[in-house]
Amino acid sequence: MLRILDFFDYAKSESLWMAHFCTGCCSLEMAAAMGPRYDWERYGYMPTPTPRQADILMITGLVSKKILPALLRTYAQMPEPKYVVALGACSFDGGPYNDSLAVIKNPTEILPADVFIAGCPPKPEAIIEGLEQVKQKMKDKIPSAASQGGLWKEMEY
Amino acid sequence: MNTVIDAFLFPGLFYALVWTVLLYWFFRKFMAPLHKRVGPHFNGPYGSYQTLFDLSKLLTKESITPDGVNPYLFSIMPILAVITALLPTAFIPWTPSYPVVESEYGLLALIVLIGIEPFLLFLTGFGSDNKYSFLGGIRVLTQSISMETAFFLAALSPALLFGTLNLSEIVDQSSWGSFLVLIPGFFLYFITLLGLLEQPPFNIPDAEQEIVYGFYTEYSGTNYFMLKLAEFTEFMAVFAGAATLFLGAYKGLFFDNYLCFFIKMLLMAIVMMILRAATPRITLKQMLHFSWRYLVPISLLNLAWVMLAKNLFFAGV
Amino acid sequence: MKKIKAILENFDTEYVEDYKKIWIKAKLQSSDALLAVAKAVQDEGLRSLSTVSPTDFPDRETIELNYFFEDLQTKRNLWLKCDIPRELEKCEIASLTPLFPGAEWHEREAYSMFGVKFLNHPDLRPIIVSEDFIGKTPFRRDFDWEQHEEDVAKNVQAIVDAFKDEQATNEVNLDPESSETVLNWGPTHPASGPIRLRVHCDGEEIISIDPDIGYVWRALESLVTKKDFVGAIVAVERLCFMDNINSMVGYCMAVEEIAGTEITEFAKWMRVILGEVARISSHFMGLGGFFMNLGLHTLFMWNLGTREFFLDFLESYSGARIATASIEPGGVRYGLDMTMFDELQKALDQFDNTVDDIEMIFVNNPTMKVRAKDVGVLSADEVEDYALCGIVARASGVKTDIRIDEPYAAYDQVDMDYVTRSNGAAADRFKVLFGELKQSVDIIKQAKKRIEEGVASGEFNPTKDHMVKVPKKLPAGEALSRVEWARGEVLMHLVTEEKAKSPYRLKLKAPSFNHTMMLNKLLEGQTLSDIPLVFGSLYVCQGDLDR
Repeated sequence: MLRILDFFDYAKSESLWMAHFCTGCCSLEMAAAMGPRYDWERYGYMPTPTPRQADILMITGLVSKKILPALLRTYAQMPEPKYVVALGACSFDGGPYNDSLAVIKNPTEILPADVFIAGCPPKPEAIIEGLEQVKQKMKDKIPSAASQGGLWKEMEY
Repeated sequence: MNTVIDAFLFPGLFYALVWTVLLYWFFRKFMAPLHKRVGPHFNGPYGSYQTLFDLSKLLTKESITPDGVNPYLFSIMPILAVITALLPTAFIPWTPSYPVVESEYGLLALIVLIGIEPFLLFLTGFGSDNKYSFLGGIRVLTQSISMETAFFLAALSPALLFGTLNLSEIVDQSSWGSFLVLIPGFFLYFITLLGLLEQPPFNIPDAEQEIVYGFYTEYSGTNYFMLKLAEFTEFMAVFAGAATLFLGAYKGLFFDNYLCFFIKMLLMAIVMMILRAATPRITLKQMLHFSWRYLVPISLLNLAWVMLAKNLFFAGV
Repeated sequence: MKKIKAILENFDTEYVEDYKKIWIKAKLQSSDALLAVAKAVQDEGLRSLSTVSPTDFPDRETIELNYFFEDLQTKRNLWLKCDIPRELEKCEIASLTPLFPGAEWHEREAYSMFGVKFLNHPDLRPIIVSEDFIGKTPFRRDFDWEQHEEDVAKNVQAIVDAFKDEQATNEVNLDPESSETVLNWGPTHPASGPIRLRVHCDGEEIISIDPDIGYVWRALESLVTKKDFVGAIVAVERLCFMDNINSMVGYCMAVEEIAGTEITEFAKWMRVILGEVARISSHFMGLGGFFMNLGLHTLFMWNLGTREFFLDFLESYSGARIATASIEPGGVRYGLDMTMFDELQKALDQFDNTVDDIEMIFVNNPTMKVRAKDVGVLSADEVEDYALCGIVARASGVKTDIRIDEPYAAYDQVDMDYVTRSNGAAADRFKVLFGELKQSVDIIKQAKKRIEEGVASGEFNPTKDHMVKVPKKLPAGEALSRVEWARGEVLMHLVTEEKAKSPYRLKLKAPSFNHTMMLNKLLEGQTLSDIPLVFGSLYVCQGDLDR
């Protein structure tokens, strides 16, 4: 019995589908990672049209104030187990938009990310490497960071 | 004991599962070179475990029932969809010793069972309490009503030619001559099949870019797995129907075997994939126009042609 | 040009002067005359109002409004200024929307950013700004942003409340007898990107569309004022990542104009090459996106594959695939190692390999023609009235291309022509896009040949000629620059103060803003299936829509 459950856990870690949600510029490199040269489908990643079938939420770059509620709502709509990946400098500390009027400077304080991928925008290789780290995290049975804490639990969205 | 094997092993649930996993993998792996990509690669030989992992994941993931929906309607519909999609396999002559249910009216059962599937999908969309799902459901219904007329007429042409509704008998009587006569019928069947299976250019009900994912929008986890299983089993039923009615089922060039049947179904899947890679989606209006202006009249003409051919070439049969 | 001057002489003006080759710059004594002047110049043929750009001068107690009128046919342009008082109550001016329908959103933008009230505006609601900025004036110089930011949670709550209110009420006001409903098309929608269209529809039929934009609002125009002149290119480049080079070219031209710097011939040609490479990489995404919206991913994938080779050239030149920051005031940032042209040649070869297949399978695709040949039709008159530009204008047969009309960089020495079609439907826009892709490759070949010849003859020194020094502190002044961006005209209006280290005000007019405005007009009465098609064919990028 244990073996069968292990198999299903392994299956979960090997098949990661992304919610189709772009908050900023990094989605351009996500598209490149889908493309012929980098082709993330080799590793089993796939975008899905609705968050209901997704395993991973990508924070693709900057999070403006206006899109934050939509981001949190998308996260809430995803089924467990779900992980968050933050792309680019913007989702870490605002990046080039640190002084901007409309951008949330630390979105991952609100919705903690499991993996940060550096770059502005990150290269497709880096995106795939980051997703491989999520796989490893799932295999090690580390619970997702957003389930452990973060301001999103107290916020209304 | 035989019944259990039939229901759960072949041609029942297990067969459908294996078919789903393999066909899903084949779709993705075949589509990738057309996109100049590689497709699933690292999990297993040629990435063949990938879809096994995908579907296992869906099976065990949390399935969310949204607020405000009728939970029974929402969760029962996927199961019903799977069962309805599985039932036609009982009437298909996979090898000379099949079908499971020997019936004088096999063809009728086949097309009726294929025909009610869209209504179940409509109910999944209707029960989701989501505007996009509802629109998807309505689109399924519209499309199936207009496509099924031509589909039924095309599927009836072998019955007219051979004078029987018994699928085994149709296969027995089929020959190269009958195949040539039925070619127009086969083309009509294939076009309407694209409509029934929601494949491009008729992938209107689950048009991602228009209505998110149609009736799938609210489904997650196990329920979505069921719908996916139903979709691929439906592929199997419709392909198997085409192979049986027009292509002589298990009859091969050198030997009669299940393998010949499988190759015929695979060829149809390949043609469907190539169309998928090169054809944009048309709109609902254009689909209705195409169906009622061209498909239905042509399938009526096809019936006339089959009658004529029967009197000309098969008068003695 | 003389006629325009004659018209302006009838009114009280502070000055009327020639500016560049095809512009007239004038300032009105009083804002009351604006409507009459606008009417007169519109009759003369200047039918497009490109944008409205307010500049805030707290010490003079005025807000200066800049209007940019354009004539797309005869290429005569007018830059009209007038002052209005700064206090919020008196900060009013007559709206030009009744005359120039294309000004509608631009005036709404000026209203939400600067608090300028436009009298007689048909629909003066805030646009772009998130709900916490409504009623405030975020772009005025004295806006206290730090105080506003003190309670971020409260600001976010304001946005959530506004959204919930809207969801709770948006179907209450509808006729209960009809089956009209409101669909939220975005921002989580697979084809939308960060934009939300409130689609009022009856079943499949669309009744009206009201776009809700601002989901990627980064306030770039105020962000550049916090950076120095070189640092500002980082913000300007992020106008939209798909074609970032040309927006930097526009900004650098404005800075160079104020500084009085003339860049070298080599740098001009480099700007042409880099700009066209960026345009190609953007057009590839646009072509692919068009078919993606029809449910076909193949072209998108093929284009991504070819695009990688062009990005390779950018990477070998600047070290970054997309965010190159390679255009700087004074020229281009890096010298050129001639071996980099091998990468470019590889990309051009790759393009030649695929272009015929794309033309055969996709450009002449019968199903695409059935879908797109009668949808989203724009007439040439509408193009002029709504000040549309780029491929959208050229697909309707309007001959406008700033690379030819008002040549910048080295485009005056390039052999090129307008790529136009006459019908103005979605399919025509797709074909213009494809035609421009081929044109860009042709321009790259010309520029590459010119640089290679120049280097061979010793005219250019590729490691030293790329840059001339631009002073860190600029004199007071203002400049206007226009570039043909991948999506159309980008107009930049830069204002500097004496000995300033950073821009005082930079107005970015981006083409997607006008194009998105057309959605309601194009989609009224169509079906839901046409939304992604028309949206994709307008070639909108949310980055430059919100800025």
